[in-house]
Amino acid sequence: MAVTEIEAGPSALERLSHPRALIALGLLMWLPLMSYVMGGTALGPAADYILLPAIPATLLLYVLGVRAFRESRVAVIGLTLVFFWLLAAVAAPYLPLLDPNKPIAPFVTPLSEKRDVFFWLGTDFKGRDMLSRMIWGCQRVIVWGVSATFVAYVVGALFGLISGYLSGWWDEIISFVANVLLSFPVMVLFIVILNYLGPSGFNIVVAVTFASAPAIMRIVRGLTLDIKTRDYVFAAQTRGEHPLYIMIVELLPNVRGPIIVDACLRLGYTTVAITTLTFLGLGLQPPDPDWGLMIRESAKTAMLWKFSYMLLVPALAVSSLILGFNLMADGLREMSLRD
Amino acid sequence: MSTNNSSTELHSKVPQLRKQMKDGALSRREFVRFAALLGVGAGAAYSMAGLPSPAFADDQANMPFPPDDPNAQSGGVLKVAMQVQKMEDPATYSWVEMSNQTRHILEHLTMTGPDNVTRPMLAERWEASDDLKTWTFYLRKGVKWNNGDDFTTEDVKFNFERWMNPDLGSSNVGLSSIAALMEEKDGKKVMRDGAIEVIDDHTIRFHLSKAVLSFPEDMYNYPTALVHRSFKPPFSDNAIGTGPFTLVENTVGDRCILKRVEGIEYWGGKVYLDEIHYYNFDEDNQLTTFAGGDVDAIYEFGVEQMELAKALDGNIIAARTAQTLCCRFQVTEKPFDDKRVRQAIVKAVDNALIKELVYPEGGDVGENQHVAPIHPEYFKLPPLVRDVDAAKALLAEAGYPDGLELTIDVGNTDGPWHQTVAEAMRDQLKDAGITLNVNVMPASKYWEIWDKTPFGATAWTHRPLGTMVLSLGYRTGVPWNETKYSNPEWDKALDEAEATLDVEKRRALMENIEKVLQDDAVMVQPICRPVYTIASKAVHGYPAHPTQYHQFNKVWKAS
Amino acid sequence: MLKLILRRLLQMLLIMAVASLLLFAIFDTPEFKKRLAVQELGGFAVSALTEESYNAWLAEKGLDVPFHTRYLNWVGDILQGDMGFSYEKNRPVGPLLLDRLANTGILAFFVFALMIPLSLVLGILAGMKEGSAQDRTISFLSVFTTSIPEIATAILLTVVLSLGLGWLPAKSAMINGFSFRELLLPVLTLVIYDFGYVARMTRASMAEVMTSQYIRTAVLKGLPYRRVVMKHALRNALIAPFTLIVLQLNWLLSGVVVVEVFFEYDGFGKLLLEAALFPDVEVVQACTLVAVAVAVLSQIISDIGYTFLNPRIRFA
Repeated sequence: MAVTEIEAGPSALERLSHPRALIALGLLMWLPLMSYVMGGTALGPAADYILLPAIPATLLLYVLGVRAFRESRVAVIGLTLVFFWLLAAVAAPYLPLLDPNKPIAPFVTPLSEKRDVFFWLGTDFKGRDMLSRMIWGCQRVIVWGVSATFVAYVVGALFGLISGYLSGWWDEIISFVANVLLSFPVMVLFIVILNYLGPSGFNIVVAVTFASAPAIMRIVRGLTLDIKTRDYVFAAQTRGEHPLYIMIVELLPNVRGPIIVDACLRLGYTTVAITTLTFLGLGLQPPDPDWGLMIRESAKTAMLWKFSYMLLVPALAVSSLILGFNLMADGLREMSLRD
Repeated sequence: MSTNNSSTELHSKVPQLRKQMKDGALSRREFVRFAALLGVGAGAAYSMAGLPSPAFADDQANMPFPPDDPNAQSGGVLKVAMQVQKMEDPATYSWVEMSNQTRHILEHLTMTGPDNVTRPMLAERWEASDDLKTWTFYLRKGVKWNNGDDFTTEDVKFNFERWMNPDLGSSNVGLSSIAALMEEKDGKKVMRDGAIEVIDDHTIRFHLSKAVLSFPEDMYNYPTALVHRSFKPPFSDNAIGTGPFTLVENTVGDRCILKRVEGIEYWGGKVYLDEIHYYNFDEDNQLTTFAGGDVDAIYEFGVEQMELAKALDGNIIAARTAQTLCCRFQVTEKPFDDKRVRQAIVKAVDNALIKELVYPEGGDVGENQHVAPIHPEYFKLPPLVRDVDAAKALLAEAGYPDGLELTIDVGNTDGPWHQTVAEAMRDQLKDAGITLNVNVMPASKYWEIWDKTPFGATAWTHRPLGTMVLSLGYRTGVPWNETKYSNPEWDKALDEAEATLDVEKRRALMENIEKVLQDDAVMVQPICRPVYTIASKAVHGYPAHPTQYHQFNKVWKAS
Repeated sequence: MLKLILRRLLQMLLIMAVASLLLFAIFDTPEFKKRLAVQELGGFAVSALTEESYNAWLAEKGLDVPFHTRYLNWVGDILQGDMGFSYEKNRPVGPLLLDRLANTGILAFFVFALMIPLSLVLGILAGMKEGSAQDRTISFLSVFTTSIPEIATAILLTVVLSLGLGWLPAKSAMINGFSFRELLLPVLTLVIYDFGYVARMTRASMAEVMTSQYIRTAVLKGLPYRRVVMKHALRNALIAPFTLIVLQLNWLLSGVVVVEVFFEYDGFGKLLLEAALFPDVEVVQACTLVAVAVAVLSQIISDIGYTFLNPRIRFA
């Protein structure tokens, strides 16, 4: 890409985002995971192997990530938390875990044995192993969370670019729609959309897009307004390039930096939103394990000190993942400020 | 007309029932129940059956309530967690909760106790003609509405006429007793002329077009509470009743406050509580609220909350019922239009194992024919045996040698145990090469498709007679026939059973009816579930009831 | 300024009109009507209804006319101060909404009463000496608490303070009237989740002020450090947090849903969720209008406040 950098981009970010190898590794990890969770039974026998290449990819990505982030301890901690769950998600089928949906013995407390099975984290009200539900549960949260955030970014960035670059009527209309959406409290928007479309993973993506894209659009629009007066944009215009080409090839790469930090934070929000919505009964549906669902089910069966592990396990799991995202965002911001 | 005279003649069918009991065709409990329906006092019926009369007031006082507890303390407020609903028109109630709120204010002609015996309530006694087509009810004297009016046959007539008004849309017209008072005119069902005969202020006679045994029992169905002759909906605006309580406040979704009536002597003897408060909690939260100590009792908790309930300081109350879950096929849809496929699925499932897994305590194993062991005419068929090889053979025969993939819709309308049942089925069906996908959806969505989905898990509530359920759910073309089952011969057999009063003969007829339905494999019905509730140890006499009807006259609270 | 406010208010009305029309259209589908019928009559009863009697039921509920007609009627009623009628709660929406808003208001009052001093003090302490151990501790603490979602905070607090130690009641249904003890857990949950964010912003603002020319000058002049902070830095450092705190009001309306549902507290958020699930259209409508109004008004207030507090803008 023969684009000259105008701003001296944050070095840590550059190191992270340039090499194509990283992107390839990321895809190698992500695509199998996504098809595994979204494909469901459609995958057939391939489901048994599809995640195998993702495990080394995840590990390698983690090592590279730590190297890139090594100057910020906070970012490394965050990265470690996030990759712990990512690894759990891709490795879940190959770990020696009990079937997360199989009832064995209900209400077994953690670190005890029943029916010749040892339960590290106990079992839930149906007798399903909490440890394996916790680990399997992160698959759905991560896949839907990341997908939803990604789609929201694509939509938000696209409209932001159009609105910022083309201005005029486009800008007026897009900004008004964004204002309408932004003046709804997020939860109202989620509840109304999911209630209308019905609860499912794909609909969560739609709801998150509606809720997040306007804010993303505003950020991108602001950045676009700022850089569209730069020389290289002007050069492209005089070359007679199509506006779409300018937006995607010239503008988009240069608004990337601030967006990555925002994306980390937003990943956290989205994860919270998915868990919360599922807790409220609007999100993912049983029976497959999911953290929000575990909380929902335990909230009515385990309101007792001796059963409180059922509530604590999913609560701590989701908190640690979000903490990971937020620390990563914090570290990235810190690094970019330092440079 | 002499009242309180226990020397009234016995109904001509009673000796016949007695003989059946002696011959072992009728259990003693069922004898009591039927004899009571025919107007024999419950105490007398118990003694004829040679059973100890349960803790009920003696026959002379003729009260439907349990006897007074000598240790009982008066006073206090009973707080109950339940959904608080609107109280619009008792004749069109659609949920049990609203009828519970009303049941302390409005009363019925009869009352069915926890022992499943129907006793006189606002009626003092009744008589049936030999052909069971003429029923005479003698009203209790001295019953007063809480506005001071006397309770008379005028009120009863007013209520019956209301129920039969086609514009009202009361579900009471579906009761066989009320249906037998009506006829079709100009495409509408209306009351037959002369169906109700008022003899005097306290005697009323009903002329039915066909024999109905269950008339007294029908009178305790939840929309048959009797309202004052001046009634206009909504009930909550002007709650005149004969019961010991009156309405102070009803805020839907928040609370319903009931208070003892003052200044009027209540006909039913002692009532201990001063106030009954219902607080709105949906079913998931009732037990956790009880755990917090804010309420004394709850409406219901689910089996998944059993461990929590056991850990709490309270008395768990369970009632055996015919409430069940039908994982039913629609026999008109592929692949379920092939009987072999249905039979293969049924054969690959072990109902007894599922029952053990889902309801380890209480409940009965279902037999895929919807008649439950607590139904009086239940015929015990040989137990179902799981046979995976036979299932595979049937599947191969039907053209699925490599197994097949199915999806069951589950709405958890009656609690998450539906899903547990479906998951257990999934695991068992795997052995026969059938892949079952469990499609869980919110309850509200399930109600949109319950009678449309090819394969779905629908909850059916308790009904006192097995023939009632079969008639509602499996007759050709009836509205609730979710299986689209259509078998004219079976319909005819069911007609015959419904017209047979003799229990022995009826049960004999049921053998064939149950067997045919079971063989046609229209559903996997693994469980007849118990219902659970809990009350604090300070609460005494909290009733267990198969359909969760609340009647708190003799409930008292230790201070 | 006045012109700006008027423009904003006009925009708010426009947004409200668009939003409520959309909602009416959304809740107009046959599925939603069927769902409402199921809630009213029971799933079995609805299936037994004939086409004719179902239509009669729709007519009785006023659902048989096209949604735009209903919308116009509704707008007319709103202009006369009638917010409609709740199917689920069987009472007029206006008083119902007021009841629930009052409950949420009580909750919000205590949340703000605790959160504002806590976050400002922590933010200032952290921002005073950027990069110090004090700063790092506070910063980490605020990232940490903000990272734990409300539902998890609610669980942790309930498990420890209620189920474990038995100090506080686990639920806040308040069936025996208002109880401060029952209010504590929801208040704490919201404070813990929210204070970190405001504290971080205060810290950033404070840190910026502390590095500014005039503070450096004041310190170099030899004024006591404490006095510099109290007299000069604070005033300027608090402008940004002020705007933010007003905007938290808007956040609270969303954030309160899960907390109210978890603790069974009968407030605005629980009402909204119940109404959306029922589906109780006119309640959802009213709640949305309130939410939009709060969002826009808090934005306006924070803008005015910002202008008013910031001398550079005020005297410019």
